[in-house]
Amino acid sequence: MANIYKPELMEVIAVRQQTIDVKSVALRFLDPERARTFSFQVGQFGIFSVFGYGESTFNICSSSNWKDRIEFCFRKVGRVTEAMWKIEVGDVIGFRGPYGNGYPMDVWKGHDLIFLGGGIAMPPIRCAIWYALENRADFGEITVVYGARTVADLVYVDELAEWAKHERVRVVTCVDPGGETPDWKGDIGFVPTVFERAQVSSKDPVVLVIGPPIMIKNTLPVLRKMAISPASVYTSLENRMKCGVGKCGRCNVGSHYVCKEGPVLTMEHLQQLPLDY
Amino acid sequence: MNDATQFEPKILAYVCNWCTYLGADLAGTTRLEYPPNIRIVRLPCTGRIDFNLLVKAFEVGADAVLVSGCHPGDCHYTSGNYHARRRWILFRELLDLLGFDLERIHFTWISAAEGKKFQQVVTDITEKTRKLGPYTELYAAAPALAKDLPQPQSKPFQLQTFATENKLRAEARKLLAEGTVKVVIGYGERGPVLVTRPEDADRLVWNNRSTANLAMYLKRKEVNALGKAAIVVKACDERSLVVLEKESQFERKDLHVIGMACDGMEQPRCANCAVRTPRFADTTVGQLPDQTPTPRPGKLDSLMEMSRGERMAFWVQEFDRCVKCYACRQVCSMCYCERCIVDKNQPISIDPAPGTKGNFAWHIARAFHLAGRCIGCGACAQACPVGIDLGLLNMQLARAAKKHFGYQAGVDPSAELLVGAFSQQDKEEFIG
Amino acid sequence: MSELITESKLRQLAGEWISGGRRVVGPVRIKDRVLYRPLQSPEPLLIESTPGGSVRPANSIKEFFFPKLETLYQYRTRGRNIELIEPAQEFAEQLIIAARPCDAAALPILDHVFNWDFADDFYNRRRAATTIVTVACSVADESCFCTSVGLAPDDARGSDAILLTLGSGRYEVRCITQKGRALFSGKTETSEESGKAAPAPERKFDPGKIRAFVDGHFEDALWAEHGRTCMACGVCAFSCPTCHCFDIVDAGAVAGNARVRTWDTCQFPIFTLHASGHNPRALQPARQRQRILHKFSIYPEKFGEILCTGCGNCVRNCPVGLGVLNMLTEIQHGQHL
Repeated sequence: MANIYKPELMEVIAVRQQTIDVKSVALRFLDPERARTFSFQVGQFGIFSVFGYGESTFNICSSSNWKDRIEFCFRKVGRVTEAMWKIEVGDVIGFRGPYGNGYPMDVWKGHDLIFLGGGIAMPPIRCAIWYALENRADFGEITVVYGARTVADLVYVDELAEWAKHERVRVVTCVDPGGETPDWKGDIGFVPTVFERAQVSSKDPVVLVIGPPIMIKNTLPVLRKMAISPASVYTSLENRMKCGVGKCGRCNVGSHYVCKEGPVLTMEHLQQLPLDY
Repeated sequence: MNDATQFEPKILAYVCNWCTYLGADLAGTTRLEYPPNIRIVRLPCTGRIDFNLLVKAFEVGADAVLVSGCHPGDCHYTSGNYHARRRWILFRELLDLLGFDLERIHFTWISAAEGKKFQQVVTDITEKTRKLGPYTELYAAAPALAKDLPQPQSKPFQLQTFATENKLRAEARKLLAEGTVKVVIGYGERGPVLVTRPEDADRLVWNNRSTANLAMYLKRKEVNALGKAAIVVKACDERSLVVLEKESQFERKDLHVIGMACDGMEQPRCANCAVRTPRFADTTVGQLPDQTPTPRPGKLDSLMEMSRGERMAFWVQEFDRCVKCYACRQVCSMCYCERCIVDKNQPISIDPAPGTKGNFAWHIARAFHLAGRCIGCGACAQACPVGIDLGLLNMQLARAAKKHFGYQAGVDPSAELLVGAFSQQDKEEFIG
Repeated sequence: MSELITESKLRQLAGEWISGGRRVVGPVRIKDRVLYRPLQSPEPLLIESTPGGSVRPANSIKEFFFPKLETLYQYRTRGRNIELIEPAQEFAEQLIIAARPCDAAALPILDHVFNWDFADDFYNRRRAATTIVTVACSVADESCFCTSVGLAPDDARGSDAILLTLGSGRYEVRCITQKGRALFSGKTETSEESGKAAPAPERKFDPGKIRAFVDGHFEDALWAEHGRTCMACGVCAFSCPTCHCFDIVDAGAVAGNARVRTWDTCQFPIFTLHASGHNPRALQPARQRQRILHKFSIYPEKFGEILCTGCGNCVRNCPVGLGVLNMLTEIQHGQHL
């Protein structure tokens, strides 16, 4: 009997603390055959679990080109993530996936890419950035504007610096006013403001914006001013999930099931959905 | 060496840090041997021991449970053990109804100086439990034992006159038109209605189907957002208002009470009705004098006459049907917690799954959280889609409250709340 | 020409099916309610509704395909090693006798979601192992609305065999599927009589009108007007033949080191609560709206079927007299359209 709810067993190969309450984890399949055959599209998510505590949904934040591992990043907020906080290299956890739709890289091919992210929303963007850098010839200019409330809340700080070293890649990092430290060298301001200030000029880019609703709300007018159509602006929705396979009935936004037809969708599509998220 | 096939009971002990735990320590340091069957769980105070920990002990396979703390008057936190004692008095009665073996539940006071007593108590309990054997009857399904309870007769209902209904509607119309209240919580044709416009006052009815306890709406955010409310209550429902006001859930001046005199609604609880006209209403519609009810033996008496094993088999059969819809909780006026304990998951105190353990744990928690607070409106049992006799759990605790403390919920607004208080005179003949 | 069976023969057969090792389920009286329960013997089986009694059981048969509690797998930890233990692969044969058409029709409707790209074999295997014998309704009450959602008191959808009353404890047997034939072949007598069902209750609303309304009125005073009295329990969803929402729970060692699936409902306040504290459906009117939207718009959009069979359980069982019908009739007749 095929048990679609049964997770695969994963070994933790790396744990990295990103901020005071955020960690990133790298896993590999215990079953080497499965490790060989597994593949996913960046943007898809998985349901990760700690046995004895429960399951939790996270974007697979590693590039789909990396065959030796998958990664996810989480904030310690509840029962499962508190248990996840304690995992160490060598521990075994569960994984179900990949679920959902990924970023349509075939559609994004040939375009400039603009990535806008806030806080803990960097991980689902990170995988797309790495993918784009690894398939560099397929994409044009890459701009990353990433901000968090304070310096201490920024994640993947070392990778931000590394991305900036690549050709035709511009990385702007910012913190909210008041969130800077005395030696902060980056920008100060909310992401939409800093993005506008950055004066990115691009013809027909693809934009991926992920962050808290207020950030997205304030970013849209800036994109409109740049004459970027909502059909070229993508986001990744999150909602409370359990089964991940469209059966438990809880993740829908109107008739859009985040686990099956999302989480990736365009702003044009999102604006057609009811305010059910 | 013990015979390898001899039964070794598992005893779980919940002890307070300041007395019994130190007493156990003393037993150890003075080399007093006691059986290794005991596992000690240390808590700061017996007052902190949630009653559902006793049930959990059995859930994880204990054959007996010991709860032990400082002697009355010696509590490190002054009164923690008094609170614990009052709760234990009531909780034992609930467990008894459910068919738990009270011989396997022990309460003692053991001080930090009583190493010898600790040794004695543990040895006695171990031997006693060894003789009782493993606790296999816990939640044992025994269809042959489970008996049906007799259905009680209900009192015939005298149809209220239309004049009463019209008076009610006129009052509601006036209150809404004058802006005194923004919503009238009342009975409608199909069920409760929330009337917000004076022209809708005719949606209110008063008939023999007006059985619900509308005080359940006072906890709803959606209703509170509408503004000041008027509520239609019968004398029995009014007792909920007394309890809720005592528990600071609303300000009396913020609620307009419309009291309806009621001659009975064909519900089982109507047989015990003494007060038929609400006593504290702002507006009273109708007048009926108090009466003396003729209590007759009901389901609870039949159940308590059964053997312990029969009682447990009865409840295993009842709870087997529970689907964890929480209708019992939602319709209860006194279940107003922002987030119920069964919905919390850090930690999971009550198994949310509708299996045997989870269902027993839930119904024990629900009933006990209502100890001394439930006014017997019967909404829980009526709401249950699978007909579980939930009211019996509450009734048992109401009886215990009356028997041990002379207390009845919602009757005397000046009486202090039962479970929040304690007396140094609370009886403890069951405590060793 | 038709096939006929008497009630006593049916009970005798039920007894044989029970003692033959199958799990046999049917309506029985439990105190003042009628519920579908597994039978230990054929005596308590209530084949038909009695006049003045309950029209149909207060629960549905979905629990025999989609149980209220299902162990998905257990796990055993030894140091760092985890072993996953799958539940039993075989599902015992089941037989449901005297289901109502509004219960049987729910199964083909649920088949869609339980097989939407991912096949749920817990459900599918039980479906394969179960035979449903339906009794056409001879009475309806004011909470029934099967005809409003495209069904009827004698609709055989989802049934393996359907019985139609001929009066005096006799039934016409119509076998619909191979499973039904396997059950009744050789057990019936031929007859000239034809059974009939109760007259169909009149249609109370047009599902097309409902769908058009919910699609166009996500924000509307109606949801609060009619949803505010809802007390956020799970009675409607749990007694509904087609509601299928569930939760996955892992309560650790105390609960047997298992991950289980339990029934859940969009009416519970924490159904959509995020760990951050944000709740997209923070108040009851939004949850009531979701119920109607899911059943009358979303499910039809995805699978071409209404997620409702008009059985009326939600109406009858609701502790505060709600259920979906009042909202649907209000949409049908209200000034909103």
